[in-house]
Amino acid sequence: MLDKPASALRLRERLLDSERLMEETGCYDGITELTLRNQDPLKFETLHTKLRAYCVSAREMARRISASPGVREVGEMVVAIYTPEGDAIALSNGIMVHVHTMSRFIKWMIKNGYEDNPRIREGDIFANNDAFIGTVQVPDVMDVVPIFHEGTLVGWAGAVCHELEAGGITPGGDVCLAQERFTEGLFVCAEKIGENDEIRRDYVIRCERNLRMPIYWVLDEKAKVASCIDMRESVKQLISEIGLDYWMKVSKEFIEEGRRAQLARTRQLTVPGIYRGHTFYGHVTAGKPGFQLLGDPDWLYNIPIEMEITTDGKITMDCEGTQPWGYHSMNCTPAGMDGGMFVTLTQHMNFEGLVNDGAWMATELKLPHGTWTNPDNEMVATATSWALLLPAYGVFQRLLSRSFVARGFVEEAFVGQVNSPMIEMGGESQYGTPFGMAHFECAAAGSGALAIKDGLDTAYVGWNPESDMGNIEVWEQSMPMVYIGRSIVPNSGGAGKYRGGCSFVSTWLINKTSHLRLHTSEHSSRVFDNGGMCGGYPAPTCQKHRAVRNSDIHELAAKGEPLAHAPGIDPHVSDYERNIGGDHVVIEGPYITSPHKSGDIFSHSYNGGGGYGDVLERDPIKTAWDVENGFLTRQAADQVFGIVLKDDEDGYPIADIDATVERRAAMRKERLVKAVPVADWIAKERGRVEKADFAPEVKKMYASAIKLSSRFTREFSEFWNVDARSIFTPGAKP
Amino acid sequence: MTSYSKEVLGDLAAGKLPWPQTRRIMSAYKDDDRFFKMVAVYQDRVAWKDPILLPVSDHLFICQSGDERITRCECGHSFGDYRKNWKLNAAIHVRNTEEALREIYPNSDLPDPQWMEIREFICPQCGTLHEVEAAAPGYPIVHDFEPDLEGFYREWLGRPLQGS
Repeated sequence: MLDKPASALRLRERLLDSERLMEETGCYDGITELTLRNQDPLKFETLHTKLRAYCVSAREMARRISASPGVREVGEMVVAIYTPEGDAIALSNGIMVHVHTMSRFIKWMIKNGYEDNPRIREGDIFANNDAFIGTVQVPDVMDVVPIFHEGTLVGWAGAVCHELEAGGITPGGDVCLAQERFTEGLFVCAEKIGENDEIRRDYVIRCERNLRMPIYWVLDEKAKVASCIDMRESVKQLISEIGLDYWMKVSKEFIEEGRRAQLARTRQLTVPGIYRGHTFYGHVTAGKPGFQLLGDPDWLYNIPIEMEITTDGKITMDCEGTQPWGYHSMNCTPAGMDGGMFVTLTQHMNFEGLVNDGAWMATELKLPHGTWTNPDNEMVATATSWALLLPAYGVFQRLLSRSFVARGFVEEAFVGQVNSPMIEMGGESQYGTPFGMAHFECAAAGSGALAIKDGLDTAYVGWNPESDMGNIEVWEQSMPMVYIGRSIVPNSGGAGKYRGGCSFVSTWLINKTSHLRLHTSEHSSRVFDNGGMCGGYPAPTCQKHRAVRNSDIHELAAKGEPLAHAPGIDPHVSDYERNIGGDHVVIEGPYITSPHKSGDIFSHSYNGGGGYGDVLERDPIKTAWDVENGFLTRQAADQVFGIVLKDDEDGYPIADIDATVERRAAMRKERLVKAVPVADWIAKERGRVEKADFAPEVKKMYASAIKLSSRFTREFSEFWNVDARSIFTPGAKP
Repeated sequence: MTSYSKEVLGDLAAGKLPWPQTRRIMSAYKDDDRFFKMVAVYQDRVAWKDPILLPVSDHLFICQSGDERITRCECGHSFGDYRKNWKLNAAIHVRNTEEALREIYPNSDLPDPQWMEIREFICPQCGTLHEVEAAAPGYPIVHDFEPDLEGFYREWLGRPLQGS
């Protein structure tokens, strides 16, 4: 039987009641007065700090239980404490995107009658990795346990780890070949996986028999359950000190306080109005083995974002005009989009006060039905939804940043996060055993620039503010590859007065295996997906993969010949081709190919962030330092930034200020010579639009957006003074 | 109440403030008098006298020019009514060939110019690069920002604009 909730209402009724109260009063759970906060603000703040400490401590403890380098080394984990209705009260650091997706999971169970069957009892453990219930993608597996106090359900403790292997059609977590749900891997759909604080043996057996590397998943489960139990016991102890009535009230006041604080911060940091931006994503799979011909193999998505800030402080993000879901792995669910909003707000606006679900409640997401942001088909794959989610929120960050610039808070303006490709692998390990793993050094790309300084080099990703690429030695323990290079990619940040943060490239020698499958996902090689701001340029597109099969590296090493440790700076001929013999391979987009073996070489570049401001204003002295340290090439300093460098007596680059001033004046003049009035350009370009004189993928993109969005159609038609529908969707019904 | 001098904010905006001091500003409670002080910093920076009402980019400002509110470049060039998209009165340079893209990305793999172009929006008077759009060919120019200027001054700053 269901144990008694705190109120006379059952959980489902209580949840619906809470939503009704929010609708009627505009305040979370109908809390119009922060009575406890007003009575004793110090006690109020202290209690929330304690809850946060419970979360941080539980996560750190749990990371020591995990076997996964993703969790142990890179910190791919987050934990949180929730109200009985599933709203986050307090959370740890880590992959905060999942704090709100877990909230959706709890609410889903409540709304789907879990009180009656399978019932919610003390000691139960529930798990989920179904993004239509509440997560982002299959490898993000979440566990929650109910918190009971003297028989009353008083909250939930939850934890998420990103699994490095999910058992999909391709090894690893971000299953790049998944084109439908049925190839994404092992699904756990809001399932009771344990009772009496113990994970069920049959569940563990299912994991062991359906995953390539079950030790990661299973020990992560134990880590998560341990952290949940730790938080649960701490909360129970706290309730015994402050009383149940106080707990039930204060936990909700924390959330209402978080909601009000978000509105206040918006009024403090931004300017009301409508902000717009867009980004694009290009997918290239034609001719690659393994892809089923369920849709176009190559496609282009537009991702327009409109953000409105109203004078009451509410932020609305609207994705109207974007593309439909497709038979690929990059679709996203509303839960994932919610999570993106949550993690963006926690980084950009909630840097003080109570961080919880209240901030999310002060915002609204408009996700058009049928698009990749809100598919109308729950069979779609979401295995690599970050590929579209991250660029979308990169735009959102730039829109928020423009509002910070307008308000004068230039130090908070940030060109935004980047999307960066991932490597997944599997096959035979260096120990001769089957294995599978996602390589998570991707959790340290280059950030976008700030409005007052360069972006962070190899130290940022949007999904985890505690970015970390992990130690080489730890990764080498887990895969049959050894590093022969890990280095900064010159010019990988977008150019600007402040450049985007640079990324890095790794080069490996495949070692002690005869069968290593290497796959990569989340590439946008044909188009920029990381934009710039206020005159800054986008970061370069995803770079091509370069590999050498049957290399002669061992012979070269034996002779003491120089090797290549990075691709180099010639985009036409890599240093691998110059220095290493063998069968050289250059592949654009997802790396899907036959298995590698010992002696092969593989390289993978990550992405940098966009730039800020006019390139001709970049500090020449800083640029000389960048060139000396490999963040920029001499060619870029001269050709892009207009900075004339000369060498000092030791051969180090120094800026020639006078020559730079002269060169930049000439470049400015040249700009004006090359440029034309926008009105003239529009008049000329209209002819091309009228003829739909575009690549097939571009035409398809316009046709899809027009079919889905009357607003996109109207705005496109008005801008070019054409009938967009008759050009791109002739014969279609309006 | 946190507050900074105009000089400190001027250095902050110019990227000249030492990092430890910048870091402290980022971590501290925000200064409620920031907006008008920062406007004063920008007003000192520009050579023209029209009062700045709102910064909208690194070198673009909405200002009161007689009875009109216009978007103006730091150099003084007017892009017209602030409610209209200033880009439509800019000069544009489009990079839609490998050669033109290679000028900005000399050492990297390039996007496909059939799928994507770079549009540079430039002040026709001083040549400042105000904004870069990376867009598919044929994509309408984006109107980046339509501020609710009157609501901002009236409801958030408590100083209604004259003539509002």
